[in-house]
Amino acid sequence: MAGYHQNLDQQQAPAFFARGPSPLARLAFFSALSLALMATDSRLQYLGSVREQLMVVLQPFQLIANAPSMLYDSTSEYFSTHHHLLNENQFLRKQALIQAISLQKMNALALENTNLRELLAANQSLEEFSQLGEILHVGRDPFTKKIIVNRGSNQQVVDGAAVVDAKGVIGQVTRTYPASSEVTLITDKSLTIPIQIERNGLRAIAFGHGRDNTLDLPFLPANVDIKRGDQLITSGIDGVYPKGLAVATVTDIQISADSPFARIVCIPTGGIENHKQVLIVSISQPDSPANSGATTHPAGNANTAAKAAAATKPDAAQTAASKVPANKVPANTTPIVAPVPAAADINQNKKPANPTPAVATEPSTATKPHAQD
Amino acid sequence: MHKTKLQTIYFSLLVAFICVLLPWSGTALNLRPDFVLLVIIFWILRAPNKCNIGTAWFIGLWVDLATGGVFGQYALAYTVTTFVAVVYQRRLVLFSNTQQLVYVLLLLIISQLTLLTVKIFSGNDVLGWSYFLPSITGVILWQAAVALGLNTSRPSRSK
Repeated sequence: MAGYHQNLDQQQAPAFFARGPSPLARLAFFSALSLALMATDSRLQYLGSVREQLMVVLQPFQLIANAPSMLYDSTSEYFSTHHHLLNENQFLRKQALIQAISLQKMNALALENTNLRELLAANQSLEEFSQLGEILHVGRDPFTKKIIVNRGSNQQVVDGAAVVDAKGVIGQVTRTYPASSEVTLITDKSLTIPIQIERNGLRAIAFGHGRDNTLDLPFLPANVDIKRGDQLITSGIDGVYPKGLAVATVTDIQISADSPFARIVCIPTGGIENHKQVLIVSISQPDSPANSGATTHPAGNANTAAKAAAATKPDAAQTAASKVPANKVPANTTPIVAPVPAAADINQNKKPANPTPAVATEPSTATKPHAQD
Repeated sequence: MHKTKLQTIYFSLLVAFICVLLPWSGTALNLRPDFVLLVIIFWILRAPNKCNIGTAWFIGLWVDLATGGVFGQYALAYTVTTFVAVVYQRRLVLFSNTQQLVYVLLLLIISQLTLLTVKIFSGNDVLGWSYFLPSITGVILWQAAVALGLNTSRPSRSK
């Protein structure tokens, strides 16, 4: 009998029953672990560098995954027809000619502008540093609007750099990895962008709508001077986006009797659907950690900044709303307006060199999503 | 229980993960089935002693990394889903193909619901019913795999 028992003990338990800890125990353990991770990542920002390291591990797999589409692209490029190439060539020549002419004018204007600014003893506008990036893929999270581009902290891309394409602003770099960076689109719910109506100079803040690819201009009074078809351009008072880039076109204005605010829907002019190249523009900021801090920037910072922006959203929006009637004076016709005093401290700690002294600055600059931390 | 090599499991998970990494965009992104979860469910049904909740959690972390979201979302979703799969595993293997299909759909939806809950808690919008489309495409993919000869039951009983 004893021998029989021994025999049974030695015998391996049938694999069917050998299951280790109960599923419930495993569920509890791993759920707790995931919840702890989520809390750590979203609240404490310890995991930024870990994420950066792991992304390096992920890089080869990403390359493998991108290989088929790259191969397809290069093959279709190789087989593109003579006729198509000729057409494109002609078009590009024409475009180059037109742009060369406007560039000549622009050079003269820039020179004139510098001279005038010198005469006025005003600050010189900030220089922009830009580089071409290529979209690697669209963000995989359906809840957010993000793209990944192939320039990272190795190429001196910093958190907070603006990303534009030929038609307008696309978004902002929110996370940098060594060889790639994550760009949050202006249509994302967490991103806001200070804009100006091109027609009358009215300043406002555009909020990403998130679900469909539109922008909202909330907290503008019902009698605001905005028409369908108005162009929105960047106002440049945030120190993030260069001034005067196209952002969106107003497509719909709804005024209802039960709300003091108009509901204004805009469609971004830039788009990521049709092309792969984007321009990453960072405004050079004197004695900012931007140049040295590329690698020391934990990705968590982006999170913090984004959170901070989200947290300040309502106040900032309120400020903007309350400011709007005052701004309704067309700023284009009165270019030199004294800055609002409240803006002074913002300028001090966020923008050592005031990029737009000719334009009234207002407290709404607080929406700048990325402080230089 | 039949022998399944650990390498096979990890290799298939790697392939599924690379499928996730493919440059999806636009409509394809909205329809993209959850390859990784499908492979995990398959292995949990077929070899629960080799692929379990821990494996699901671990690969979930990598999917989190790939999606760029907060760490732990997919890990949690996969953990919960695989728990349900493991609890009913013995019954499930005996199910017919159609019954299994319904069950897999249920599992995929559980995973998406878990994710949705986490996302809503972190302040995201509800995306509407199209959010659940990947579950449908996932089931279609499962059916395609079954039609191609993949089987969760023992090889001796395969048709």
